Amino acid sequence: MSALFKPWTNTAFRVVLFALAVLFGGGLIAGPMIYVRSPLYTQQQDPIDQPVQFDHRHHVGDEGIDCRYCHSSVEKSSFASVPATSVCLNCHSQIWNKSPKLAPVRESFFSDRPIVWNKVNKLPHFVYFNHSIHVKQGVGCVTCHGRIDQMAQVEKWAPLTMGWCLDCHRNPERFLRPREEVISMTFTAGSEKEQLALGERLKAEYHVATRTSCTTCHR
Amino acid sequence: MPSLKLPIVGSPGEQPAPARTQWRSLEERERGLETTGEFPPGASEIGGTSRREFVQLLGASMAFAGAAGCFKQPPEQILPYTRPPEEIVPGRPLHYATASTLGGRATGLLITAFEGRATKVEGNPEHPSSLGATGLFEQASILQLYDPNRGSVLQEKNRPRSWREFLAAQNDRANALRAKDGGAGLRFLLEPGSSPLIGELRERIQKLFPNARFRSYSAVSEDAALRGARLAFGSALETRFDLSKARVIACLEADPLYPWPGSIPAMRAWADKREPGPGMNRLYAVECALSVTGMNADHRLRIRPSQLAPNALALAAKLGAGGGALAPLAALGAKSRLDPKQQRFVDALARDLSRAGRQGVVMAGPRSPALVHALAHAINSSLSSEAVRHQKPLLHDAETGAEGLRELAAEIRAGAVDTLVVTAANPVHTAPYELNLAKALDSVPNSIYRGLYQDETSQRCGWFVPATHPLEDWGDARAHDGTVTFLQPLVQPLFNGIAESQVLAAFLAQGDKSPYALLREHWRSARADAEDAWEKWISDGFIQGSASAAESPQLRVDAVAAAALAARFDAAGPALELNVVPDYRLYDGRFANNVWLQETPDPVTKLTWDNAALLSPKTARELGVQTHDAVDLGLHGPPVHAAVLVVPGHADGAVTVALGYGRAGGEQSAAGVGFDVAPLRRTEAPWGDRGLTLTKLGRRHRLAITQEHWSMEGRDPALDMDLHEYEGHGRERIEEGRVPVATMHTPWDYSKVAYKWGMAIDLARCTGCSACMVACQSENNVPVVGKVNVEKSREMHWLRLDRYFSGSEEDPRATTQPMLCVHCETAPCEYVCPVNATVHSDEGLNEMVYNRCIGTRYCSNNCPYKVRRFNFFNYTYDTGDVEKLRMNPDVTVRSRGVMEKCTYCVQRIERARIDSRVQERPIAEKELQTACQQACPAHAIVFGNLHDRSHEVTKKHADDRHYFVLNDVGTRPRTAYLARVRNPNPELT
Repeated sequence: MSALFKPWTNTAFRVVLFALAVLFGGGLIAGPMIYVRSPLYTQQQDPIDQPVQFDHRHHVGDEGIDCRYCHSSVEKSSFASVPATSVCLNCHSQIWNKSPKLAPVRESFFSDRPIVWNKVNKLPHFVYFNHSIHVKQGVGCVTCHGRIDQMAQVEKWAPLTMGWCLDCHRNPERFLRPREEVISMTFTAGSEKEQLALGERLKAEYHVATRTSCTTCHR
Repeated sequence: MPSLKLPIVGSPGEQPAPARTQWRSLEERERGLETTGEFPPGASEIGGTSRREFVQLLGASMAFAGAAGCFKQPPEQILPYTRPPEEIVPGRPLHYATASTLGGRATGLLITAFEGRATKVEGNPEHPSSLGATGLFEQASILQLYDPNRGSVLQEKNRPRSWREFLAAQNDRANALRAKDGGAGLRFLLEPGSSPLIGELRERIQKLFPNARFRSYSAVSEDAALRGARLAFGSALETRFDLSKARVIACLEADPLYPWPGSIPAMRAWADKREPGPGMNRLYAVECALSVTGMNADHRLRIRPSQLAPNALALAAKLGAGGGALAPLAALGAKSRLDPKQQRFVDALARDLSRAGRQGVVMAGPRSPALVHALAHAINSSLSSEAVRHQKPLLHDAETGAEGLRELAAEIRAGAVDTLVVTAANPVHTAPYELNLAKALDSVPNSIYRGLYQDETSQRCGWFVPATHPLEDWGDARAHDGTVTFLQPLVQPLFNGIAESQVLAAFLAQGDKSPYALLREHWRSARADAEDAWEKWISDGFIQGSASAAESPQLRVDAVAAAALAARFDAAGPALELNVVPDYRLYDGRFANNVWLQETPDPVTKLTWDNAALLSPKTARELGVQTHDAVDLGLHGPPVHAAVLVVPGHADGAVTVALGYGRAGGEQSAAGVGFDVAPLRRTEAPWGDRGLTLTKLGRRHRLAITQEHWSMEGRDPALDMDLHEYEGHGRERIEEGRVPVATMHTPWDYSKVAYKWGMAIDLARCTGCSACMVACQSENNVPVVGKVNVEKSREMHWLRLDRYFSGSEEDPRATTQPMLCVHCETAPCEYVCPVNATVHSDEGLNEMVYNRCIGTRYCSNNCPYKVRRFNFFNYTYDTGDVEKLRMNPDVTVRSRGVMEKCTYCVQRIERARIDSRVQERPIAEKELQTACQQACPAHAIVFGNLHDRSHEVTKKHADDRHYFVLNDVGTRPRTAYLARVRNPNPELT
């Protein structure tokens, strides 16, 4: 009886064994790398419960309130800032002022205790992001935060990984828009080619000098 | 000695190694560099772990480090305001003008506050005592604000009481005292103060209680200066010095080049005239222990404390020999019996002073005897010195010394004191021993102590009232020149503090008024324009044009001559002399719990976490003691257990000790540090006396001295030369330090970026005071490591002050050099990092990326400047909630296993960059300063854009004196140093 396994099977076996080892070893390294970039880890598209059922669809989409009405320091400071309770009551002292959904807001105002919101877009503590410069240079809210006007509960839209930041810092022309369109949820320059042309023009006009040195963000 | 001087391709010829001239300690001078090695012992050892355990720990920590990356980020909350305060924008700091007071004088400050929490102290550029700079005490005061050891509960005999209960109790008692005998049993022992508000409250209390008595006390009093003025002018006057008008300055135990309260303007003015050239000033110092001023002097005479008056008299006599106002003193010169060396110094100084005429000035320090002050006044008057201005005393009680304390103790012992209110800083600790103040306080029926800490004094007082920190307080005070300065609070009292004004108001039945109301009412009645100007005063921090008027007193030279004639100058005997000094870091002990100051090395001795008995090498040899030897010092009281530190430049036959240590209060960090010098002090001789005995104990007490940490392998990094040398061959020597070294790398092209950051440090201006070190620590969240770790050279200071000596051990020449990361363009650290955790930025910064660092420490090993610091432990893990408030939110708090170093304050660069870009303009020169630059009283550090031709830093980088430290290793630093040039008197060289 001739050998069940021909001599070439030895080679095949070794190749498979080697491939398995490489796959396993590679997987050990690649697995975590894929994991930390996946929404599973970055908590993307993970709607976060808030103490008040605030609906951006209604406020941004239906009423068309300017983002900067509530996130008032976005042009001045690193933080866009979550509005003070008094800002909510600018309107809601007049309308829906008896709504049970707004009870925590009224309670906060009258007891002078802050509403404890859960953070959606978190950065590690060694990262220093500044809203004012991005808004000034023509980065739209929607570019990083997604279609807030379509979110019932706000969720993290972008992965906020360093690679994602660098995508734009290396090629800002792909994302820039005119300053007056920064808060627009629907602005589009048209095709990709038109966006690139617009981006190049704005980059020159606004003197956009994106930097990729470490201390730009890490201090 | 192993030489590490490697041949460098293209270096300008083979040069013989320069003869080693600089040394940092006596050990190094005697035995050469073998004593130190590149790293000091223990720098990279972990104690008590075997190799096997170490490998196990290594493996475990690697596995855990990998696993730690897999966890999700913890949830975080956002707490917005309910009603936003008008001026606050989250993330943008605000700056408030306020002040700190020390010795009764205010220094104007600007405090940075993020969303209502103060994080950083800077000087108020408009304020006459600050000029934008700060000293160590002001910088470190922010740490004290958040000190969890501060007393927080008002107590009566250790039982908690409310402020209302205190008021009720004191009110009843005070009323009874007033009805009985006009308050004859009421005594106040206050911190020396110049506050107009406190002045008014005192007057009102005095009216209500005509027989009550106020006194002020400070361990660092200026009574001798006042007595000297009385002797010379017939009235008590304060003297202030404008060194911008002085060309020849003689300091008789005066220390104007250290930022004591009120000395910042003097430092700035002195430094402004250190540019080599005809306008350069000349500084003479006559002193016992080497001081910061002595390190910077062009000529220094070391003498025992008892020889100060004879030398001053000889100087006045010499100046009077040619007639003029000092003629009555001329005949007394023979009384001094100076040795030839002293005589030669004094003669040369006298001739230099008379040549300088109106531009000559003699300064006597607060520790000098009254006669020396009087002689200094006489000399200054006879020269009609332009640098001197006299003014009426600023303090409410002109005399603040221990005499008042002695009277008080006697009154207590006589049973005359019923109620005693103490707001002076811890008098029980600093009072001279023979008064036995602690025991006396025990017998006061009703004693009240207001203090920041529950310390030695609170233990002896019935009531303890927690004090407000100056940054929690509404108040006022006068600057060194009399300018009215305001204190405004940055936060509500964190530890239930009560203001001094409230404690006094309690005796006017107004203790329920807030300090703000008291202050506002005082100024409303004191100045007619208060209503309109109030907002401006508070936002400026002071009232413009409110400085004291200058007095022009008449010199009474005959009285001075009579006093000099009556003075007894005993010949120096064999007995040791004691010389007590206020501490450069703890002052009189009130900062003992401030770990930043405890860990800042003393500017002269580089000692941390201790005081020591300083001895000259000759005296130490005679006594058979060495550094670290434990000894007993005996004078007047029981012996004091001290440790010896042999220092160059100290006078022979004398021992110098610093105030402020050996604390036995409730402060955690101060406990067990150093020894208390109170048993050595007497009321009549608070600053020293003859007859000190020193007994060797045969034990050793390890002192943590940083002077030899981080060897520089035999090079002379701090260039220091005399003016004639500089004008001769010195320029060439400096030039060697900046010739471009050939390199195989193509130099990086920075012409495309807008900013090219660089720094310049002028060694001729640097006095070595170390304010920059504390400023850096505060700005950059630099941790404190403690004495044990300092001994192992694990201190974390990003900026250190190197101090080099050259010449003889008796009369060394000292040079100070701030050393921080020089941001090499070809940085040795960057080549060796296996994970790219240290890289170059497009603008030429050498960046340190904490989140990439895995702690191999290769970078530190390869750094020729030894400016990288490694977190051997997690030094911040136990930071309490209150302490966290002081952290700068713009800077990452580093954890264990991470390397760190100076970043050129990159957080300030980025903030300025973003602000300027949002406003579409370039960064202005005034807008961006590093923390060290901003704090420097002498304006020695300049930072900015090297592309900007008009920028001061660019000019300094083109200065004739500029060189790069270790230029020959080819690192191309971005920090240039400007060589120090001294201006010696040709007669004395």
